Amino acid sequence: MSRALYFVAALLLILVVLVLGLQVGSFESDLSTLTSAFLHYDPANTTHFAILHLRLPRLLLALVVGASLALSGYLMQAMVNNGLADPFLLGTASGASLGAIVVFFGFVPVTVLGIYMPPVFALLGAFAVTLVVVALGYRKRQLIPSQLLLAGIAISSLGTAMVGLLTFLSDSESKLRTVIFWSMGSFERASWDMLPYPAVALLLALLLFVYYQKQLNILLLGEERAQALGVPVAQTRWVILVTVSVVTGFAVATSGPIGFVGLIIPHVTRGLMGTPGQANLLFCAFVGGLFMLLCDLLSRLLYPPAGLPIGIITSFFGVPFFVYLLLRKNYNFKG
Amino acid sequence: MLLLAACNQQQETKKQLVLEDDLGREVKLNAQPKRVLALATSMTEMLFAVLDTSTIVGRTQNDDFPAAALAKPVVNNYPVDYEQVLRLKPDLIFTVEGITPPDVAARLEELGIPVYYQKYESVADIFTALEDIGQIMGREKQANQLADSLRREVAQIAARHRREAQPLRVLGIAGFDPIYVYGHSTVISDKLRILGAQNAVDETFDALTREYILQSNPDVLLGGTPQELEKNFFSIYPELRKIKAYRNGRMYAPTNDLMARPTPRVVESIRELESFLYP
Repeated sequence: MSRALYFVAALLLILVVLVLGLQVGSFESDLSTLTSAFLHYDPANTTHFAILHLRLPRLLLALVVGASLALSGYLMQAMVNNGLADPFLLGTASGASLGAIVVFFGFVPVTVLGIYMPPVFALLGAFAVTLVVVALGYRKRQLIPSQLLLAGIAISSLGTAMVGLLTFLSDSESKLRTVIFWSMGSFERASWDMLPYPAVALLLALLLFVYYQKQLNILLLGEERAQALGVPVAQTRWVILVTVSVVTGFAVATSGPIGFVGLIIPHVTRGLMGTPGQANLLFCAFVGGLFMLLCDLLSRLLYPPAGLPIGIITSFFGVPFFVYLLLRKNYNFKG
Repeated sequence: MLLLAACNQQQETKKQLVLEDDLGREVKLNAQPKRVLALATSMTEMLFAVLDTSTIVGRTQNDDFPAAALAKPVVNNYPVDYEQVLRLKPDLIFTVEGITPPDVAARLEELGIPVYYQKYESVADIFTALEDIGQIMGREKQANQLADSLRREVAQIAARHRREAQPLRVLGIAGFDPIYVYGHSTVISDKLRILGAQNAVDETFDALTREYILQSNPDVLLGGTPQELEKNFFSIYPELRKIKAYRNGRMYAPTNDLMARPTPRVVESIRELESFLYP
């Protein structure tokens, strides 16, 4: 299949899964309910309301977050030139968790000026931890990937330990459940008000890397060769770093740390499109979004109506596929 | 749910009591316990209601009722402070399913202290549990009297609401993010039944989506005053402002300890709920 066909297939599948997903929920609904909700929206009809104000923003958030994590994973793997890298290597996930949990455990009011604080603090936590990790991975005005990785692992562990301490000291069962729930990810808070933040971050990142795609592919060949071919390696790394922290930060702040998507989807992308693909990043974002939509649909079909936590589904269905990809002989990280 | 069996040993010098607790576990006692300890906050209230307070040797760090409990030495129940338990030398430990993990009970039994679990699925279970405690501890008279009087009070309340034309559908919120509610098979559902109302949730799961709540459209919300819920619940989920309970301002804040603890104060809790449902 040619690459263009893959794109068309991914887009079509996204549409199909969106339409299927819009029909699953506590209110009975079928295709005709969907059409009437979209074409003749009746504000007094709660089924219409549920479809347009609960289901649609949730599915779009899943799409955006899946795309964001896949894109960030692709960028991280290119930057550190290692197929084991994922978007949370910069400490984003543990920083966000720590930020959110500080609010959940009452160190900060839950709402300030009518704004719900956990996502705000999750974003702050993600950025703060990423800053520390970058500061540690930075030497002689250069980012050292191996040092960045180690700093990421160390600071993430520290964050996890602090989350663990707070959890242990917590006196209330409902706070514990909140923490456990948060750590597995959820799109249940999605609304039209919050959707623009992760969506705009993702769009800007995609636009930016239409321009940087070529450098990115050369970077996969290794630092020396990229340097020799005239790629401004140091500058490209900074662009990647800032993009990954912003995009991942918004994704995690809105939905919690959802694992495996950022690790697996970039490999799927390279497996299908080839390592130095022309539009790999865009395709990676599509596949990431599609995968997350599918996981959301599965979670709701398997355990209605609440749905299984999304992080459990991404691992259950992502890992076997990943193993298959590893066992396939003709795929290899560097092409 | 209590089985007492006295096994006469060969020389008849020593009787071993074998009990079966609410989880069907065998609990072996060498003699009637004289020193007991509860590892659950609600259980401390149960023991104080039935026993001579001198037989209760400690309390957990969270116990605050009755006031007399505060005078007892503290035993940490999470994680369990085994040394302190040994120091207090209880003959038997009472606890509640879900509060003390089975591996902790196994460890305590290795240390020579039997553990008796209770579990409650209805208001009536709590009263039977009081009688079980009385029987094990040789305080049948006190326990049966208390249980009977509590049963009478509940029957009187229930009689007032036997003919509610349209049972109110009530949703009890236990957590805001994620939304956790009191599921169907909880003591709370039974309290609502006694009051001629019903739990708006007819499943046992407890983490819920906004859509489920919108669809179940409860008449009454328990979990906070209108101001508290506005700030901590409806500001996160503005979509839920469509439900009847919100539009009619029927939101109430039950006393936490009464809601959460299965104790003789369950009658007080039912009365509190009654005052919310039928103001």
